[in-house]
Amino acid sequence: MSWSRIAERLSEVGYVGVEKILEEHPYLREAAERLREQKLKVIDNLEEYVQQTIKSVERIGGHAHLARNAEEARRIVGEIVDEDKLIVFSKTNAAYEVGLREHLQALGKEVWETDLGEFLVQVSGGWPAHIVAPAIDMTRADAAQTLTKVVAGVDENSSVEQLVAAVRSFLMDKYLRAQVGITGANAVAADTGSVVLVENEGNIRVDTVLPPKHVVVVGVDKIVPTLRDALDEAMIQAAYAGLYPPTYVNVTSGPSSTADIEQTRITPATGPREFHMVLLDNGRLDASRRKDIREALLCIRCGRCYFTCPVYRVLGKKWVSRRSPYNGPMGVMWCYITTGDPTPAAYCTHSGNCREVCPMKINIPEIIRQIKHEATKQLNHNKPNKT
Amino acid sequence: MEQRLERKLRLIRDVVYSSLIKNYTPFPLDRKLAARWAEPLKVPRGGRTLIYTSYMYQMASVFKTYSKYADTLGSLASSQLLASLGARFVKPSEEDLERSTRILQNIYRIVHRDNADLGYLYEEEPYSGALLHELGFLDEFYEYGEKLRAYLRSKGVEMLVTVDPHTTNALNALRREAGFDIPFKPYLAYLKGVRGAGEFVLHDSCLYSRFLDMYDAVRSTLNEAGIKLVENPRITARASGFCCGAPIAPLSEELSEKIAEERSRTLLRVAPNTLVVCPLCYANLSKHCAVKDIAEVITR
Repeated sequence: MSWSRIAERLSEVGYVGVEKILEEHPYLREAAERLREQKLKVIDNLEEYVQQTIKSVERIGGHAHLARNAEEARRIVGEIVDEDKLIVFSKTNAAYEVGLREHLQALGKEVWETDLGEFLVQVSGGWPAHIVAPAIDMTRADAAQTLTKVVAGVDENSSVEQLVAAVRSFLMDKYLRAQVGITGANAVAADTGSVVLVENEGNIRVDTVLPPKHVVVVGVDKIVPTLRDALDEAMIQAAYAGLYPPTYVNVTSGPSSTADIEQTRITPATGPREFHMVLLDNGRLDASRRKDIREALLCIRCGRCYFTCPVYRVLGKKWVSRRSPYNGPMGVMWCYITTGDPTPAAYCTHSGNCREVCPMKINIPEIIRQIKHEATKQLNHNKPNKT
Repeated sequence: MEQRLERKLRLIRDVVYSSLIKNYTPFPLDRKLAARWAEPLKVPRGGRTLIYTSYMYQMASVFKTYSKYADTLGSLASSQLLASLGARFVKPSEEDLERSTRILQNIYRIVHRDNADLGYLYEEEPYSGALLHELGFLDEFYEYGEKLRAYLRSKGVEMLVTVDPHTTNALNALRREAGFDIPFKPYLAYLKGVRGAGEFVLHDSCLYSRFLDMYDAVRSTLNEAGIKLVENPRITARASGFCCGAPIAPLSEELSEKIAEERSRTLLRVAPNTLVVCPLCYANLSKHCAVKDIAEVITR
């Protein structure tokens, strides 16, 4: 099936599917409106909320780290991993953003993505096509051909069920031996230091519990004032991604512990002994100070804007390409915030659908226009191109 | 920024900006040819209330294929020859001109009923600057907006009736950001009492429906006129209907064309005949499906 047919189908089915979820559960729209207000409070005082989050994480027995840029994030995680050899990743775009998997592999670590779509992208050597469904551009045949490279018991004729079962079996061995689990976060609660993660496969639940070290790599834009807000964000993200109710919502507040014997708190209990949160700036704090683009930080990464966008429907992952793991209209904003590259913005047609479907009511077309403006201003600073 | 993109943006800016500042047109064009629609109707020259075409219907096909002119025009951008030489080869086809003549005459007749003194600036009409706005040349756009406002004021203009969404949106942006204080109204506001016929799927203008909040108003007007609109929430809802691809044509004709193909294919699943409210939508979609402009199916 061609990309345009895949995109057409997902666009139409996805649009009406989410509308149906929102009609059946009217509290979701109300919660989204409230969440927008809560997230605006954070953007107004992002530095303070970062500091509050760091204190909250330390209070619950975790270790908090602030990485100003991609290089710092890679270094910090490398130090946390230390001599550990086997690492399982859940789908984390912040880690993609800083090139973490490649960095750890270069250090000689064995690293596996555990989200099925992301696993397919990793094995194929590709790049995510969508923020929620990274391998959405792959057919069954593509997936089968890819998996034959590393997974036993599959061939090019394997059914979808056979492929999923084979990957499950392959990853189970990794889960059991992994020393480090690296995840992202849908939201981080400043008041408690808790991480909220929403998923359907169950891989995140395993990644956050089985390995002795749990490392969260998360952009500071994911900080919300309270744990209630964090749970709201997970719920709203799932609904606007078209997956409601979500199969799992995970809350992690520090390392595992128990006080069952004589009320003496002992770490670890069954789960990890170490909990680390790497808060990633990488352009976000600067963006929070810029009136013209700051609302981009409200994005909850539901990915709904992707398929309503005509440019993404045509170009798919070629649009932003390997400049950034973020694609579609939100990716144009996030590519600029995290890399400073305005190139993808130039191709926006200002169709305006992205704003219509955004749960946070981000004026995405206007932010993209401001990024285009930045690109045109560069023309005045750069020397004329002679090529 | 990619070098190829930078080069293209620079070319467009050099041509559009210098042409606007010198001549009030986005590129060299035959202004008399563009104004000829008004002569048979003896439209008054100038006046306090003007029909404002901004060359959009007359030059829609040129906007669509602009990227093919960009290199040549770019090389002439700093030359005094830009206007005289450029106008010779930047021309719409005779067929496109005749169609735009019929449309603009119909629009004029409709609006004229409520504005007996409705005038037109003929070859003195300035372009709105929409192309600068849409490509992100905001500094240049606001600078030109000042010049545009002063020019229109010098002509005694007190009210503009726009005929397309791009001009309406550009003036709206100038009003919001750059103090453009001349009132304007889209001609669609004058359609009360018009009659029409036919069954169509409406391809919304992105700007009217999602930026100027006219999604419902356009539908009400067409329904009241007797035109039957076929809807499909997956394809024609305010959030699900999408762009025809025209705005990106100056930068990438290939991307523009592919978006047009996608949009046309979805529209054809709703109904065999498509209705548009924008000259650029017509220029981009008409190669792929049967398209009529609203001004081709209504009369007073």
